[in-house]
Amino acid sequence: MKNFFITTFIIFFLASLASETSAQPQRFPMPEFQTEYQKPEASTSEPRAASMEYVDTLVLILVLAFTIWLIFFKRSRRWILWVSVFALLYFGFYRLGCICAVGSVQNITLALFGTGYFIPLTVLAFFAIPLLVALFAGRVFCSTACPLGVIQDLVIFKPTKLAPWVQKALGLFPFIYLGLAVLFAATATDFIICRYDPFVGIFRLGAELHMIVLGIGILLIGMFVARPYCRFICPYGALLRVFSKFSRFHLSITPKDCINCHLCKDSCPFDAIDKPTDEKEIKPDRRNLKKFITYALLIPVFVFVGGWLISGTHKTLAKAHPDVYLANLLVESPELMQDTDNVDIETFMASDRTLEMLIEDAVVIQNKFRYGGWFLGGFIGLVIGITLLGQAVYKKRTIYEANREKCYSCGRCMKYCPVGNEQEKVELLSQEKQITN
Amino acid sequence: MEKQEKIKKLRLATIIAGAFIAIVCLLMLVTYLQLKSTDPIESKSLEVLVERLASEPNNAELIDEIRKLDLLARKAYFSSIWQLRIGAYLLLFGAVVFVIILRYYLNLKFSIEKPSEEKVKDSKSRFLTQRWVAAAGIVVLVLAFISAFFTADYLGKYKTEQLVVADEKYDDIIEQIEVTERIVSDEPEDETVTDTVPQEEELAEEKKEARVETLLTAEKVQQNHNAFRGPWGQGISRRSNLPVQWDGDSGKNILWKTEIPVHGYNSPVVWDDLVFLTGANESVRVVYCLNRHTGEIIWEREADNIPGSPATPPETTDDTGLAAPSVTVDGQRVFAIFGTGDIIAFDFEGNRLWARNLGVPDNHYGHSSSLLTWDGKVFVQYDTQSGSRLLALSTSSGQTVWETPRTSEISWASPMLINVDGKFQLVLVSYPDVSGYEVNDGRMLWSVDCMSGEIGPSPAYGGGLVYAANEYATMVAINPKTGETVWQDRYYLPEVASPVYHDGLLYIATTYAVVAAFEAKTGELVWEYDAEDIFYSSPVIADNKLYVFDTSGTAYIFEPGDEPNLIATNELGDFVFATPAFAGNKIYVRSDDYLYCIGENR
Repeated sequence: MKNFFITTFIIFFLASLASETSAQPQRFPMPEFQTEYQKPEASTSEPRAASMEYVDTLVLILVLAFTIWLIFFKRSRRWILWVSVFALLYFGFYRLGCICAVGSVQNITLALFGTGYFIPLTVLAFFAIPLLVALFAGRVFCSTACPLGVIQDLVIFKPTKLAPWVQKALGLFPFIYLGLAVLFAATATDFIICRYDPFVGIFRLGAELHMIVLGIGILLIGMFVARPYCRFICPYGALLRVFSKFSRFHLSITPKDCINCHLCKDSCPFDAIDKPTDEKEIKPDRRNLKKFITYALLIPVFVFVGGWLISGTHKTLAKAHPDVYLANLLVESPELMQDTDNVDIETFMASDRTLEMLIEDAVVIQNKFRYGGWFLGGFIGLVIGITLLGQAVYKKRTIYEANREKCYSCGRCMKYCPVGNEQEKVELLSQEKQITN
Repeated sequence: MEKQEKIKKLRLATIIAGAFIAIVCLLMLVTYLQLKSTDPIESKSLEVLVERLASEPNNAELIDEIRKLDLLARKAYFSSIWQLRIGAYLLLFGAVVFVIILRYYLNLKFSIEKPSEEKVKDSKSRFLTQRWVAAAGIVVLVLAFISAFFTADYLGKYKTEQLVVADEKYDDIIEQIEVTERIVSDEPEDETVTDTVPQEEELAEEKKEARVETLLTAEKVQQNHNAFRGPWGQGISRRSNLPVQWDGDSGKNILWKTEIPVHGYNSPVVWDDLVFLTGANESVRVVYCLNRHTGEIIWEREADNIPGSPATPPETTDDTGLAAPSVTVDGQRVFAIFGTGDIIAFDFEGNRLWARNLGVPDNHYGHSSSLLTWDGKVFVQYDTQSGSRLLALSTSSGQTVWETPRTSEISWASPMLINVDGKFQLVLVSYPDVSGYEVNDGRMLWSVDCMSGEIGPSPAYGGGLVYAANEYATMVAINPKTGETVWQDRYYLPEVASPVYHDGLLYIATTYAVVAAFEAKTGELVWEYDAEDIFYSSPVIADNKLYVFDTSGTAYIFEPGDEPNLIATNELGDFVFATPAFAGNKIYVRSDDYLYCIGENR
């Protein structure tokens, strides 16, 4: 089976070459007609009706509401799966991955930083609703409504357990990504979450080659490491994680009292089930207290050092801004001003801006990155500090329960619990017996 | 169906789905490679046929064949695109089926396994977590550190342009003037231009006020010599009472000569009391402004710190250099261009107004096309090895007003403005065409493919016709209203000096030392005159006479007419390559190192 997956990976990689071309047909000049042939006028299709934005919002609300009901009352993994398939088809293949709560972080930031951008209510709703839901019911959005998560969820075939320290270390990246996305949006540089959305190319059946390869690569990895994008990349997931930590309610593995049968222990492909704590491990320890105090005191240092260093990278980061990039390019290689193949340079040369004006603008942007770098670096330092601090905190747990930060509320664990589902359990065990026989 | 049997069948179905995906992928890959290897507009077969068409323009069969081949290539291209699109859908379909079957297969095989044993203690796990998180943090910080210290900041290196202000260093240059025989203040003037020398302060004030009010009118252009070959670049000056006798050795009628610190082949340009020219070498590019009455260098400004200007100037030959193009003046500003592609504007006090680089010209001798100005625009004939274009830049900002791409080869000729039925046209000569352009929008009005070789001479205009000529090519007369060729001749052809029209005759000066006159309407040779040396300097009609300097500095002055009526020859005693300028009743001639002012000593 493993060979089969490898073969499939290669096939997908090759296919991605073609899908890139198929989605972006090359443009070239029309023939020069010397006959009486009349060139037809180019026509553009009508934009999507504005009211449909509200339909999107309504669908999101319904999907979330229905999922909450499925998680808390129906407790059906199967139904959760079908709802998630519906959301994938709607938000993924029908809406082509846009509108998307994951990318809405950038719209919010851009609007907040007064760049003259007014945020549509729908985008605001897509940003806020999943977070509010997370505050009350956990990461329900990740479970069914997010097409990026669902497409990965569908290809989980043989998930591997990752060591906690690997998860924690990789788990820093979504926060760094979030910080970068906010900085880039605040400086009107780029929407990097959208630009590097690995699945949008699949939803649209075409994107740049590297993005198709990235998307398919993540899906192939996702067969063995469940939801890699959600766990180790998704910046909105980082926000949801924080909100979900304080959620009022949350999916519980067992519908009644846990009997500590351990059957659910390995059921979560995301390693999001916390085991009962070992009494010996949580004994009061002076060393732990000392460690806690040390980390707590170090957090301001991490914040400052992070801020100072990331602020120092402002010239590098600012190069992501088209103006800064262009200004650097033209100052470094002035001869490129005549490069007729470079659309950016052509556009600039045709504009009313002089190089001096471009450079002035570029310096202003660099300064924004300098100040923004302090916040980004400080934020990264804070996240690292809090993560370390968390390692010195012990919380007593007597049963197996879903980790509120990491749990995507997919409901897989529910069917492992023998409590309250006796009939289903009997069926399950009889199936197992059949297979074993 | 038994569960085991189901599982077997599902396994088979999974393999079939996988194989289907593989086949679709393979087909798509082949189509993709085909698509990448063929480009309908870069088809070699098509190119060959199109080349053939150039020599057989009326071959209808060939045209039909080209059209069919073009259509076929385009059809093939779009078919491949369609195939890839369909392939992508099939692939998606295959992937969905594959996933569904595989999930079903795995569900059937599902069983709750015995929970695994904990291998690592919680305390150990926490310890490792701290270590890894700290390591991840260190990696981020190290990357940031490296990035902070190793990012090249080109913007930091860029020096913001500073306006150059006049300072005392110009006093030193003024002292370099070697000959200032007499300041002339009593020339008879027939126009508003005066050659008297008012008090310096008064002059400055008057000039300042005048500049604000000045608009570039046809009358003002004709009163001055505001470009290479005078008003509109036509080689005709309206000045009168010009000297016909002088001698460089004895200083007869040489009113002054001033050494120009940096050499250049460009010709002097005059507006009111000021003379402008430029010089350039490997290290500097300079614009000079001289008092035309005294020869004093009033100011000189370097064309430096120009965005896009190359750090190392392009290679040029010694007979062209980096300062071959002449400046042009609009009554308020002087515009200069150099072989580096730098174009710059100063006001008459030497304040830098704007500067930009048009891209280093790909020109093996060096860029030499001079500038022209009219109607708030500076026109640049920027014919280079690739990307030839005609530009109109705003005189006030230097921004491109319009730009017209040209298919021409390099040209060393300068543009000329002509007035046809009240509308101005810009006439350009290059290989292979002589073309007329609308000055307001750069639209090409007409074009005649008739030229070849390396074009040096600029066009001429008169008698309702445009004239262009080039050595080893042809001399042609074109009607600018219709773009029709009136006549063509190859009897005598100029290589560098431009032709000039006067009173029904077209005059040329060649690089084999012949001055010749042709009937402008028919192209018939009227007369020829063998001079002593070859001509680079263009002949100019002034004071109803034909003035032309050979390279050894001998000026030939002809009375225009059907006979070669040579009025005088005068030796300057210095090499002359530039075309003289005429202002007031004086002639301004640039030699290798000096600017001479020739006028009657009274």
